Amino acid sequence: MNSIDHDVMTPSEQPSLKPSALNDILPLAATLPPLSFAAGMAALLAACGGGDTAGDTAGDAVARLGSEAARAPYKAILGGDAQKSMRQAKAQAQARLPTPDELMNWAEKKFPAFFPGPEPTRNTDNYVFRYYATNGNYLAILGQDVYVLGPITENRVVNVGTLTVFAEAVAAELANAVVNTDAEAVRFLLQAQFSASEAEIAEVRQKGYANWLDEQQARPVTQLAWDWMVSTGYTAIDTHEFFFATYPGDSMAWYQLMGAPDSVRQRTALALSNFFVVSLDGVNDSMNWSSPGMAHYWDILQRNAFGNYRTLLEEITLSPAMGAYLNTRGNRKEDPASGRLPDENYAREVMQLFSIGLNQLNLDGSVKLDAAGASLESYTQIDVSNLARVFTGYDANKSFPRGVNPNPPNQTINNVEAARAPMVLDARQHSPLEKKFLGSTIPANTAGAESLRIALDTLYKHPNVGPFLGRQMIQRLVTSNPSAAYVSRVASAFNANRAGVRGDLGHMFRTILLDDEARNPAGLTSLTFGKLREPVLRIAQWARTFKLKPIAGFWKIFSGLRPGDATRSLSQSPLQAPSVFNFFRPGYVPPSTLLAASKATAPEFQIVNESTVNSYITHLQSIVGRGYYDNTPSVPYTVDKSIAPNWVPAVVPDYTTELAMAHDTSALVARLNLLLCAGQLSPATLTFITNALAIDRLRVDSNADFKQIHVARAIMFVMCSAEYLVQK
Amino acid sequence: MNFINYDKHTRRAFLRRTGQLALAGTATPFAINLAAIGEAAAFNATDYKALVCVFLLGGNDYGNTVVTYDDASYARYSSIRAAGAGAAAGGIVLPKAALAATTLLPTTALAEGRQYALHPNMTGLRKLFNDGAAAVQLNVGPLVAPLTRTEYFSGNTIKYPRPPKLFSHNDQQSVWQSSSPEGSTIGWGGNIGDLALSGNTNSLFTCISLAGNSVFLAGDTALQYQCSTVGAVKAQALSDNFFYEPQMRSAFAELIQQHSNHVLESTYNNVTRRAIAAEAQVSGGIGAVNLQTAFPSGNSLASQLKMVARLIGARTALGNKRQVFMVQLGGFDLHDNLVAKQPGQLRMVSDAMSAFYAATVELGVADKVTSFTASDFGRTLSSNGDGSDHGWGSHHFVVGGAVNGARFFGAAPPVSVGDTSAPDDQWHVGQGRLLPSTSVDQYAATLAQWFGVAPEELNGILPNLRNFGDAGGRPDYPTNLGFMKS
Repeated sequence: MNSIDHDVMTPSEQPSLKPSALNDILPLAATLPPLSFAAGMAALLAACGGGDTAGDTAGDAVARLGSEAARAPYKAILGGDAQKSMRQAKAQAQARLPTPDELMNWAEKKFPAFFPGPEPTRNTDNYVFRYYATNGNYLAILGQDVYVLGPITENRVVNVGTLTVFAEAVAAELANAVVNTDAEAVRFLLQAQFSASEAEIAEVRQKGYANWLDEQQARPVTQLAWDWMVSTGYTAIDTHEFFFATYPGDSMAWYQLMGAPDSVRQRTALALSNFFVVSLDGVNDSMNWSSPGMAHYWDILQRNAFGNYRTLLEEITLSPAMGAYLNTRGNRKEDPASGRLPDENYAREVMQLFSIGLNQLNLDGSVKLDAAGASLESYTQIDVSNLARVFTGYDANKSFPRGVNPNPPNQTINNVEAARAPMVLDARQHSPLEKKFLGSTIPANTAGAESLRIALDTLYKHPNVGPFLGRQMIQRLVTSNPSAAYVSRVASAFNANRAGVRGDLGHMFRTILLDDEARNPAGLTSLTFGKLREPVLRIAQWARTFKLKPIAGFWKIFSGLRPGDATRSLSQSPLQAPSVFNFFRPGYVPPSTLLAASKATAPEFQIVNESTVNSYITHLQSIVGRGYYDNTPSVPYTVDKSIAPNWVPAVVPDYTTELAMAHDTSALVARLNLLLCAGQLSPATLTFITNALAIDRLRVDSNADFKQIHVARAIMFVMCSAEYLVQK
Repeated sequence: MNFINYDKHTRRAFLRRTGQLALAGTATPFAINLAAIGEAAAFNATDYKALVCVFLLGGNDYGNTVVTYDDASYARYSSIRAAGAGAAAGGIVLPKAALAATTLLPTTALAEGRQYALHPNMTGLRKLFNDGAAAVQLNVGPLVAPLTRTEYFSGNTIKYPRPPKLFSHNDQQSVWQSSSPEGSTIGWGGNIGDLALSGNTNSLFTCISLAGNSVFLAGDTALQYQCSTVGAVKAQALSDNFFYEPQMRSAFAELIQQHSNHVLESTYNNVTRRAIAAEAQVSGGIGAVNLQTAFPSGNSLASQLKMVARLIGARTALGNKRQVFMVQLGGFDLHDNLVAKQPGQLRMVSDAMSAFYAATVELGVADKVTSFTASDFGRTLSSNGDGSDHGWGSHHFVVGGAVNGARFFGAAPPVSVGDTSAPDDQWHVGQGRLLPSTSVDQYAATLAQWFGVAPEELNGILPNLRNFGDAGGRPDYPTNLGFMKS
């Protein structure tokens, strides 16, 4: 531990750091870290079960730190030349500042002897840091400053420079992560969005993962779902009764997944919709204009997909769709005379599902346990009953003029604007009682808006949110059982972005997708890495890969969720979950499997059974040739089949490229393997499928129909193979 | 007492003691080594028996399902639920006059003059009750051990353990079905199935779900087989002309069933392999069953139970002597619109279960088939204006020819939302959330014993049962509640 002779924490052109040189290094005009740093370290050491290195006890280390802090100024170790540092900082002003995690990841990679990672990121006071138990070193960031402590610095807290100084080196490392092959690019694209095209592959390879993703996140929303709904005619009050219908919302959702241009944003919104669940049918039960209401809900998700969690949480809380779904709309304060109490639905689910979850979590997503080994729950019924008071007094915005259903019995119909205007507060129905929950107290007689602010801030700041949301988003995009370190890194990204801001979702998603665990080819040979593609993703991928288009603008996609449609059900549909608990739960462990034996989660398997594996195959078979059929593809509404009995292709794929190579089965299968599977079909499976398709004996001069069915068969083989179904 | 640590309790012990049991679902779903489970063959049944779990998703409101009817307690119910001035008209109270036609007429009157009526829409179940083919188990819910209100509020969860994650939908569904919260992989329906496997020619059909994947039917060895309301679902491409050339069709069939070393791929293809192997057999079996009993339309629970009846009708063809089924109906989480929406839900339950009973009569197995209800939890008795919130204990139905019908089992809880030390306030934990006076383990043990599970096997199936009954030092919480004829 004393034989330090490598570069540490310095750009490569800097002189080596040797302990003996420490005292020769010019002091940097750095602020002294507060003593609480040492206190934080003490807590950490205790948490690490001692941190007893080189015969040191935690107490000894802390005691010495305290005396160090009192005795001597901290030394900068960077370069030995503050002037040079400053010049460098100026020159590097262009480079994006690394996040604490990026910096620490970089340090772990560059200086594994000193910082043998991966270690989880931790927080104390305002420090973000990692502790390396094997050698007793710490690496910490406070604001813009980077500190090192441990045997490496003779147990002094040493400021080694600012984030700016390291920006270039870290950015170069990130940006220069070479995208070696087309398959690597596709693998990334299929995690970040739905599909991959040749143009996108080229772009990712040219720009690198980080730059490409940054550009995608920076793209504005192309078209709001609401605006699409208006342009399609679904917000008109007419005899088609769109105000009662769910099919416009269904059409909207499929358009977003299959057709909207900003597909990274749409993919992220889909992932968020699996977390902040609202279901079209449930909303339709209790509001007019459920479809525009869900369009607006989707817009909240897509607008905030790369924004801040706190904003997103408030917008969904006040959205008409959520208000209708989880009963905040019309929720009134307690009435002591009658014994009526506030509705607890939203208060419970916003904690259980949309923010902190049932169990207290460590940064790495593991559950905190009490002394008896039982999980520590995050809240009690008392927290729920108190938080419920916060969500009283809200109702739909009824200030818009209402219309009339032209059909008998000519009911009054709400203005469609009420489906997107945030719910409004009626102060008279807001509970004046004190609200105590999760350690926060909202004093009696606090106004509704202020109550809401405090409540949502409390949820937002709860340490569970990062690991709770982060782990689930990793599951949605990358792998069902992420390592604890991966969850830590993502949770840390949630906890602080480059500027130290909490809740930056863009930064969190960026961290998920650029993480080594997502990118490392080791995942491709692991026998456990990856996730089952959820059925909606399979179909959206097929649609985008083969440029599915409605012949008249209406996305009439059949997903077959009604029990009677079981024979060709997709068993999932966007924004149509059976309950707020979604189609599948993040903690689902498939019984009677190897996964159950290891308690491994595999959420998507909650909708896998003897019925759905077969119905998926039949569903795909029914669309793979000529797309989705409908009896009236040219009108926005549905028409009973007794009136229009003929079903024709309504939303159709474009197989031009595939048809041109259909006679060359090897080339065709290779293309499907690249675009659909990121090249993840094994050589044996490739050969197997190619040989099977060769049975068609298709020739260059075979007729177009034969070529079409040959392409359809090829897609069936690929998209029903387990090596496709599990995305790695 | 011997408490189970939920975080550590994963698999039941009783089958594991046979040592060599593999997880049948992993590699050889159809090659369950029946010899290996010989020791678990608790019954060498010659007759047929089936249990049918009817799960009401979302937490059914007990207060308006089995409605307190005697004047004294109705008055309290009405006062608690009317929600007072400025409330929606009538609060969430069912008018007494509307209940007169659905009063329950037990053979033995309840203590203290307590009476109940069913929701006015539950005419079918009411008739079954009064005719002696249905019973009501009062205030049943998950418990680790007998628990008082004082103990509950003591905060001492070590000394007075309670089920994990109370009031949470997904977790309480899982706890009802398996004694453990979300992530649990072994349910008591499946464990009962484990014991029955060896008696069935085709063990796959021991546990059949019409309700999607639920932990209830997953055993140590028993798998849940999924059947839809339109029968076994097949992959059409395996039998039609999509692939045209038989060789290509066979290749496709081989690909989608092939083994993989990747755990997720392997898990998926195992299901596909089972699905393909079972489909023709199930389709053939139920195809030969022609039920005359009319099942209501537009009632998804009835559609599921109709398929269960057809599967029972095909029991000989499918080689089954003991089966456990699960069906479900969603839509009970009525925080809002309780009075508007619950009636339709309860009508579906009542109509579907009545039709199902009639079908078992038609099939000649009325006394061989027992259906019972379960739900996430009961709800609050207090009103939130037009609905009720998550609770705990609830009242449930047991239906069948082997049921000691026209009787209430368990104790009628006082109608109360008060938070005092008065005796009447001791059977809820606030807002009328019932503190169960009967545990799910007792409820399940009673069903299991009728099914043929030996008493000594019960503790392996129901991890908390040891804390109840004579063995648990609590004869007031018996391990056989008596609602099944012996």
